[in-house]
Amino acid sequence: MNPSDSDASRFRSTPTDRRGERDLDDLLVHVARGDQVAFEAIYDRLAGPVYGVVRRVLRDPSQSEEVAQEVLLEVWRTAARFDPAMGGAATWVLTIAHRRAIDRVRASTAAAEREQRNAEVHTPRDEVAEAVEASLDRERVRRCLDALTEIQRESITLAYYGGYSYRQVAGLLSVTLGAIKTRIRDGLIRMRDCLGVS
Amino acid sequence: MRLLRHDLHALTGAYALDAIDRSAERERFTRHMSGCQSCASEVREFREVGTALAFAAALEPPPAMRAEVLAAVARTRQVPPEVKTHARPKRTRTWVPWVPWLSGAIATAGIVIAVLFGFAQAHTQQELNQARSQNQSLAAIEARTMQELDQARNQNQLLAAIMAAPNVRVLSQRSTKGGVAIVLLASVRHQLIVTTSGLPPLPAGKVYQLWLIGPKKIVSAGLLPPARSGQTAPVVASGLVAGDKLGLTIEPAPGSKQPTMTPIIALPV
Repeated sequence: MNPSDSDASRFRSTPTDRRGERDLDDLLVHVARGDQVAFEAIYDRLAGPVYGVVRRVLRDPSQSEEVAQEVLLEVWRTAARFDPAMGGAATWVLTIAHRRAIDRVRASTAAAEREQRNAEVHTPRDEVAEAVEASLDRERVRRCLDALTEIQRESITLAYYGGYSYRQVAGLLSVTLGAIKTRIRDGLIRMRDCLGVS
Repeated sequence: MRLLRHDLHALTGAYALDAIDRSAERERFTRHMSGCQSCASEVREFREVGTALAFAAALEPPPAMRAEVLAAVARTRQVPPEVKTHARPKRTRTWVPWVPWLSGAIATAGIVIAVLFGFAQAHTQQELNQARSQNQSLAAIEARTMQELDQARNQNQLLAAIMAAPNVRVLSQRSTKGGVAIVLLASVRHQLIVTTSGLPPLPAGKVYQLWLIGPKKIVSAGLLPPARSGQTAPVVASGLVAGDKLGLTIEPAPGSKQPTMTPIIALPV
C-alpha cells in the first residue's frame, strides 16, 4: 500500500523522536474530538507497528488482523482517555496493541495452539533478524538488543515478542522466578539507556 | 516484608511487558505502583522501550484493513473524556454588598453559569472573575440550581448548543426598576439567553418585552415568561448584530411592535 519511502517516514516517529511524538499527541487530541482525518493520519503512522507487534505475538495472520483492527478501533473510541502525562501517543497505542495480543494469547484456545509451536520457537536473535530490513530503527533496536546479555535478551524478546509470562520465560530458560524478574528489569534498563528513552 | 516489597519492585519490567499472567499478582503490583513513584516512572520508560520493539517489528498490514477500520470508525461512537470532579470552590463568607440582590438572580442564572463552567473555554480573566464570584452564590443554592440545570439540559437542547458555543460571555445589568437580567452571549451564533430575577411584578395586562436595539432599528426579541418565585425561565433571542443593545421594557400585553417607553435595561452586547 505504501512505498518504502513512507515506511521510513512512519518509522521516524519512534518514542525518542520528540517531534514525531508531539505530532502524534496532537493528532490524538484531534481524534478525541471526532476528527476522522486525524485518525487516518494516526492509522498511517501506527498501523504498521500495531499489526507487526500483534502478528509477532499471535503468529496467525487472520487472527492478527482481527486484533489489530480491534486495537485501532479502540484507539478511536477511547482517544479522549489518552493522558499525555502518562507517555506519548505511540506508546499509548502500542501498549494497547501488545496487551490485546497478550489477552488473546491467554484466552484459552490460542494458548493451546501456541503450545504446538513451542517446538519451533525461533531463537530471539532470528526473530529480530527476520524483521531487520532497511529501517534505522530496527537497526538501532537490534544493536541495543545485541548489547544485552544473552539471558536478558532472550527473556525480553520471549516476553514481548513471544507473549510469554515471566513464569513461562523462567521455565523456558530454566532460571528461577526471582532471577527472571531481575533479568527482564535489568535488560529493560539497559535498553532504555541504549535507546535514549528519557 | 522487606523482601516482599523488593520482590514487587522487581516486577516493573515484567509488568511493563504484560508478562504477569496472574491477575492477583498484577493487581497487587498495580496497587504498589500507585504509591511508588519510581516504579511508575520505570514502567513508563519500559513501555517506551516496548514501543521501540514494536516499531522494529512493524509489518505492512493487509491492504484491505485500512478501509475496514475507517469504515468501522465512521460508525462507532467515541467514549467521552472522564470528567474530573473538581473540588467546588470554597464558599467564603465575605459577602460583598451587591451579592444579596444578585444571589436571587443567580438561582436562575445558575442554569447558565453552571453549564458555562462545563463548556466555555475561552473566558477572559474578567469573565472568569465574574463567574467565580457568582459561583460563590451559586454554591448556596446548589440544589435548586442543579435541578434547574437538569431541566434546562433535558428540555432545551438549544440552550445547551448556545452555551457550548465558543467565546460565550456572561453579562448582567440591574434594571432601573429593581431586579437584574443575566445574559449569556454567544456572538458567533448571533444568539443570547436572557434570565431575570427580582423584576417588580406587573399589573394584569402588562408584560416585560425584550428588544434588540440597533443603531438603525429596534427588533422585538420576545416576551419574558411569567416569573416563578421572582425568576423568569431562560429566553433565547436570535438575530443579534454587532453593536446591538439588549433592551427590556414594560409593554401592554401581548407586546408591542416598537418599545413604548425608555428601556429599564439597556445592555450593550
